[in-house]
Amino acid sequence: MEYLAISVLNGLIYGLLLFMVSAGLTLIFGMMGVLNFTHASFYMLGAYLAYTLQPLTGFWLAIVVSPLLVGFLGVLVERVFLRRVHRYGHAHELLLTFGLSFIIAEVVKLFYGNFPVDYRVPEQLGFAAFHIFGTQYPFYRVLMGLVSLAMFGALYLLLTRTRVGIVVRSAIYRPGMAQALGHNVPLVFMGVFGVGAALAGLAGAIAGAFYTTNPNMALELGVVVFVVVVVGGLGSLPGAMAASILIGLTSSLAVGVDASLADLFGLFGARAWAEEAGGLLTLKISSLSATLPFALMLLVLALSPSGLMGEKE
Amino acid sequence: MNPTNPMDPTNPMDPAPALARVPARVRAADADRAAVPAMLAGAALLALLPAVLSPGLLNAANQMLIAVLFASAFNVLAGQSGMLAFGHAAYFGIGAFATIHAMNALGGEGLLPTPLLPVFGLLAGGALGVAAGWFSTQRTGVYFSMITLALAELIHALAPHLKEVFGGEAGVSSMRMPAWGLDFGSSLQVYYLTLAWVSACLALLFFFTRTPVGRLALGLRENGHRLKFLGYNVHALRLLVFVVSSAFAGVAGGLQAMANESANYVLFDVRLSSEVVLNAYIGGVGVFFGPALGAALMTLFGYFVSDLTRSWLLYQGILFVLIMMYLPTGLSGLLPWWRAHSRHQPAGRLARLAALSLLAGALLLAGTVLSVELLQRVFAQDYQAQLAAGQAWPAVAFLGRDWLPGAPSTWLLPLALLAAGSLAARAAARRWQEAGDAAPAAGDGGPTP
Repeated sequence: MEYLAISVLNGLIYGLLLFMVSAGLTLIFGMMGVLNFTHASFYMLGAYLAYTLQPLTGFWLAIVVSPLLVGFLGVLVERVFLRRVHRYGHAHELLLTFGLSFIIAEVVKLFYGNFPVDYRVPEQLGFAAFHIFGTQYPFYRVLMGLVSLAMFGALYLLLTRTRVGIVVRSAIYRPGMAQALGHNVPLVFMGVFGVGAALAGLAGAIAGAFYTTNPNMALELGVVVFVVVVVGGLGSLPGAMAASILIGLTSSLAVGVDASLADLFGLFGARAWAEEAGGLLTLKISSLSATLPFALMLLVLALSPSGLMGEKE
Repeated sequence: MNPTNPMDPTNPMDPAPALARVPARVRAADADRAAVPAMLAGAALLALLPAVLSPGLLNAANQMLIAVLFASAFNVLAGQSGMLAFGHAAYFGIGAFATIHAMNALGGEGLLPTPLLPVFGLLAGGALGVAAGWFSTQRTGVYFSMITLALAELIHALAPHLKEVFGGEAGVSSMRMPAWGLDFGSSLQVYYLTLAWVSACLALLFFFTRTPVGRLALGLRENGHRLKFLGYNVHALRLLVFVVSSAFAGVAGGLQAMANESANYVLFDVRLSSEVVLNAYIGGVGVFFGPALGAALMTLFGYFVSDLTRSWLLYQGILFVLIMMYLPTGLSGLLPWWRAHSRHQPAGRLARLAALSLLAGALLLAGTVLSVELLQRVFAQDYQAQLAAGQAWPAVAFLGRDWLPGAPSTWLLPLALLAAGSLAARAAARRWQEAGDAAPAAGDGGPTP
């Protein structure tokens, strides 16, 4: 019970972190049709910039300034790079962002070295939020979850309740028509790209202090974030939230499950055969936790081609 | 390099009107026809290569051949059929493991002696391709890319846990057994074995593009819907193309396993998948030999430059992004573009333009290399460790000179080089454009909209 409660909590927080990164990605995809490989790099840059700024400005200012810088960089990427190759089609744009993410990772290695940096939660935030089954639950985790929830609320209200949101949503669903009605769609694209990058940067600035900040963090998280966006349905914010929580919970819960497929066969009296066959059948679920997001994605795509809540194919 | 390069892009995911592309296809066929004699000449050259190369370089040439085959197999999907796959390391890796297990199990004797063993790479790559392809080819566009990526990551995450098959951290190793009077002990014999396999496979892949199925694959790229309306079973066609691609990727993996006499689950890493994408698009996916060109150049680039600098991956990334932005048809698109211009421009003007472009390229290259190398040295861990507070930063050595990180002149030189390079590049771009405008036919139908 204790294990279950803590796993669910940790899984929720991890899922909320995934949402912070995937929110921008899914909006950018919905709007431009580009699966943006640089997005996870923005997450990494947010962490590294906050780490660099922290000694100069203190923690709080660092996690405000670093997302702004990352957002500015996102604007540059859209304006200088993506817009240039737009006429060559989506595949070309995807490849360009892929190349850019490669460059960003190498530049980070150039400046900070190919090893984790010492970016950690500041002392004054290292206290426990509450006690659960006798163990302390760190306040910082709760803070990450709250930031993500606040982000979801703000984005949702912005998109559904404001005039800007209406323009953005129309640019997502029918960019051509929105432009014909006199809206500056390229500007909207640039803005959403910048805001998405800034949100990823914020996620990095906050989560980098709790998890590790290293040059591989973009690659590691990036693939999972792609899975989240595809599972949730490309372009759908609530879908991204649902998929993030789902994947966060499954990854977190699976780590502690010692069962294997052989146990399932055991129910039908075929345990001995399964254990003899070995291979996949005797692998413990816990060691499979890294593969679960991908298996989940394949399953969702097989059952519901446009993801959990997607409308675009 | 010209930003308004009037070449047609290869544009797999965009169902643009096929009519607008006719010149591109004609040109591609043109280039392919020229490629056959070039291929024979290249094969002859490669066969003579060992006479002049040291064993170390011979190993690099071996790696190059494997990368060439891998990129060409990848291009059956990405370039010819317009399906951008992001997890081709899976088929390469499975081919490598199948071959290494076959080497251990058969001992290179019986019906399948050592030189024939990469055929297991073909079979394993093809078999995995049937399973993965059946699933992934049901979708197109971004979903296809993401499914291939997810499948490859699934295998990558699973492989370390299946110790019986993939050997865990240590991997699986084997020995090349003697056969046909050869002992396969020297890198020379391995090189010829690889060369024979790669030439045969490239010939088969080239032949494949000439078959009706190969032509239909081009139709898939241009407009899958139209193909469907014409009554073709598009899913079966996609699957077939996928299997061909993955089977030959498996051969490349098998050859790698033969050369290294070992295989490790690191082969499934996303790095290998992304390398083949970079190589193929740097070379240009529109032409059959484009990816091969890219793979050959980038392997050699890696071999030579990785000895010189730690930042060679950065240079590779910069090169890729530049090509994506300014040369959408890749390096292999340079030749037809040059030909189109030379048909309509006086030679002297063309030479001046080329000289200006080369000057711009050289300036930008010098500026980039200088800034990257200086930064790399200044931010290196061992350099940072010897800094003392309050004292000036000591000089770093590069190109036989000492550079003071504190002095403005150190940074002004690369900046000046970059600025001059961009100015020259801008001027060159403008003149190329004027040249193109003066002779609208030069660019096969004018600039892309």
